[in-house]
Amino acid sequence: MSSSESSSLTTSSTIPPTRGPRYSRHHTAKVNTNGLYARAIRESFVKLDPRIMVRNPVMFVVWVGTIITALTTIDPNLFGSTPGKNQYFYNGLITVILFFTVVFANFAEAVAEGRGKAQADALRATRSDTTARRLSPNGLVQEVSSTNLRKGDLVKVIAGDIIPADGEVIEGIASVDESAITGESAPVLKEPGTDISSSVTGGTRILSDELTIRITADPGQGFIDRMIALVEGAERTKTPNEIALTVLLAGLTLIFLVVVAILPLIANYRGNPVSIATLISLLVALIPTTIGGLLSAIGIAGMDRVAQFNVIATSGRAVEACGDVNTLILDKTGTITLGNRLAEEFIPVNGHSEKDLAQVALASSIFDQTPEGKSIVGLANRLGAKVDFDETKAEGIEFTAKTRMSGTNLPNGVQVRKGAVDAIKGFVRSRGGALTSDLDQAYERVSRLGGTPLAVCKEGDVYGIIYLKDIVKPGIRERFDQMRRMGIRTIMLTGDNRITASVIAAEAGVDDFIAEATPEDKMRVIQAEQAENKIVAMTGDGTNDAPALAQANVGVAMNSGTQAAKEAANMVDLDSDPTKLIDIVTIGKQLLITRGALTTFSIANDISKYFAIIPAIFTAVGLGNLNIMALASPQSAVLSALIFNALIIPALIPLALKGVQFRPLSADQLLQRNVYVYGVGGIIAPFIGIKIIDIIISAVGLA
Amino acid sequence: MKNLKLVNEIQTLLADLTPELQSHGLLRSLPLKLFLALLLNLIIAPTVLAATGGSISRLNAYAIGLLGLVTVGLAIYLMMVMLQPQRF
Repeated sequence: MSSSESSSLTTSSTIPPTRGPRYSRHHTAKVNTNGLYARAIRESFVKLDPRIMVRNPVMFVVWVGTIITALTTIDPNLFGSTPGKNQYFYNGLITVILFFTVVFANFAEAVAEGRGKAQADALRATRSDTTARRLSPNGLVQEVSSTNLRKGDLVKVIAGDIIPADGEVIEGIASVDESAITGESAPVLKEPGTDISSSVTGGTRILSDELTIRITADPGQGFIDRMIALVEGAERTKTPNEIALTVLLAGLTLIFLVVVAILPLIANYRGNPVSIATLISLLVALIPTTIGGLLSAIGIAGMDRVAQFNVIATSGRAVEACGDVNTLILDKTGTITLGNRLAEEFIPVNGHSEKDLAQVALASSIFDQTPEGKSIVGLANRLGAKVDFDETKAEGIEFTAKTRMSGTNLPNGVQVRKGAVDAIKGFVRSRGGALTSDLDQAYERVSRLGGTPLAVCKEGDVYGIIYLKDIVKPGIRERFDQMRRMGIRTIMLTGDNRITASVIAAEAGVDDFIAEATPEDKMRVIQAEQAENKIVAMTGDGTNDAPALAQANVGVAMNSGTQAAKEAANMVDLDSDPTKLIDIVTIGKQLLITRGALTTFSIANDISKYFAIIPAIFTAVGLGNLNIMALASPQSAVLSALIFNALIIPALIPLALKGVQFRPLSADQLLQRNVYVYGVGGIIAPFIGIKIIDIIISAVGLA
Repeated sequence: MKNLKLVNEIQTLLADLTPELQSHGLLRSLPLKLFLALLLNLIIAPTVLAATGGSISRLNAYAIGLLGLVTVGLAIYLMMVMLQPQRF
C-alpha cells in the first residue's frame, strides 16, 4: 500500500512528547482505510460459510432459520398449509431480512478485523528484509539476509542501517531512530550493559556510530511480528470473558428455541395455526442477535485500541485482567525515575579532600560499564583525577545484588570499593577501619535530596560519598492521582535506602513504598497481595524484574528495558511510560462495560418485540388487544420487528468499535448509569423504532 | 405392514453398521452425519404421517420430520456450546 511508509507513523516534531491529556498521548496509527468497507462487505459474504458460522451460536441459529424460510418461500405449504395472504412474498421478505441480519453481523466482525489488518499492514511495511552483517566466530563479516538470522547470532550495524532483528547491544554506542515502532522521531541512545538502553528492535534505524548486537529473536518471532499478529487477530482465541458470555447467549438461545418449538403444538390445539416462517421470525427476534453479532467486533476493536496506545499485548486475557487491577507495583529506577543516574557531586569525609575522593572513585569505577560508573569516571576526570596504576594488572569486581558493591582490586593488592553505604560500612569494618559520623551526615544529605548515595572506600578507609542524581519522570504525579481515583493502589519498590525512597515516593505521589528491596522482596510483595485475592499489575524494566513480572497478574515491561523483562511480561509499553497502565485499565474496563451494555440492550429489546409479534400471531385467540403499538397488520408487525432487529446491528457497530465511553465514576454509579441508558433505553427504543418502520412498510404497501 | 417390516430392517442394519463405522472413524465426518440424519428422517416421517392421521401430504411429513431433526440438532449444538465453549 502506498501510504504505509514508515514516515506515516512518525510525528512531525522532534521535540519530546508532552504528557498532556490522555487523547494527545494516543498515537493514532495512520492506517489506510480506503477500501476498508468494500473489503469488509466482501468478507461478510465469505463468512457465510457454515464452518465459520458455527463459531457464533446465536448467528448460526439465524443462519439455519434463513435456510428454512428460504425453503418456505419456494413452497409456502411445505410444512402444512397455514392461513395468510401473499405467502410467497411475505416469506421471501422474511428470508431476505434474516439473510441481511446474518450479513450485518458478519460485516461488524469484518470491519473490526479489517481495521486491525490495516494497522498490521502499516506495521508490516516498516519491516523489510534487509541484509545484515553477521559476525562469524572467527571475526569475519558475512552478508546475510535478515531472515537467515537466528537467535544468538552476532551482527554489526553501522550508521544508516536498519537493524535487522530484535537484539541486545553488546558493544558500541549509537543513537537509534525508533519511530517505526513508537512513532517518536526523537532518537534514543543505545549502549550495552544497562537495564535501560541495551535492547534494540528489528526495523528501527541506527542514526550514528555503530553497534554490535546479539540477536535475541528468530525471524517471525520479533516484536513487530508479535504486534502484527495481535492486531490482525489471526490467531485470536476467545478470552475467558467472551467464553462466559457466549455460554450465556447459547443458553438464552436454547431456551427461546425450546419455547418457540413448543408453540406450534399449543397454537394448533387452540385452532390458531402459525406458519413456520412466522415462528422463525419470532425466534430470531427473541434471541440476543444484537450482542451475538457484535461480540467479536467488540473484542477485536479492544485489542486494536491497545495497540493504538503503543502497547504490545500478547493476549486478550491480559488486557481484560487489567480491567480489574487493584494494585500496581512499580520499580523506581528507570520506571518512575528517568533511570540514568548520573554522578553529580563528590562529598569527601574522614578528612579527605575532594581530589582524593575523585581519585579513589575513578579507581573503583574504571571497569564499571554502567552509565553510573561512566558518569563517575567522567566527573572524576573533570576534577583532574587520573589513573595512577596499571589497568591491565588490576581486576575489576562487578556489582552483585548480594554484595551491593563493586570496585577494583589494584595491582598492589589494595582493594577499592564503592556501593551502598551500609555495604561499604561492613567492608570497612571487616578491614578494621573506623567509621566517622560525617559519613552518615553526608549520606542523609544526599538521601534527603532524593539522590542515591554511593560510599567509596580504599581498604579500611572511607573516602566519601558520590551523589547520584535521579529525576522523577515528569507528569507522573497527576497520573498516580488518576489511578487513585480509579481505585488502584500504587506501591514503589526500590533497592535504594529508606530516605531516598521516601523522598522519591513523596515526589511521585505513590501510595506506599518499600525500600532496600531485593528481587525476592518484589516476588514476596506480589504474592502477599495475590494471597489477599487482589489483582496485581507490575511495571518494570530490568532483568531482575523478570520473575516478578511473570508472577504478577499483569506484567508491563518498558520497551527500554531488557529482553528478559519483555519476555516475562504480558505486555510491553513502547513509550516506556509506567503509567501507561491507566490507559490499558481503561480499555480493559471498557471491553467489559461495552459487552455488558450491549447484552442488556439486546435483551431489553425483546420486550417490545413480544408486543409486536405475539399479538400479530395470536389475533384469532384474542391476544390482538396486546397490539399496543397499533401496528397495521400481523404481517407488517412481524416484518417491522425483524427489520428493526436487523438494522440495529449496523447501527450499533460504531459503538461496538469505539467502546462505551469510560467515565471515572465508581462502579455503582457506572452500573446505574448504564442500566438507565442501555436497559431502559433498550426497552423504549424498539417501540419507537418498530412503530416507525411499521408506518413506512404500510405506506409502501409491503404488507 | 410392509412399511413396518422395512423400518425394522433398516433399524437392524444401522445397529450392525454403527460399531463398524465408528471403528473406521467415519462417524466423525459431517457429510456422513447429514446422510444419517436423512436416513433417520425416513423412519420419523412415516411416524409423523401416522400421528396426523393422513391429513397432511407425504411431502409435508418429510419436511416436518426434517425440521424436527434440525431443531433437535440445533438444541444439541447449543448444549455443546454451553458445556464445551472452548471448542468453538
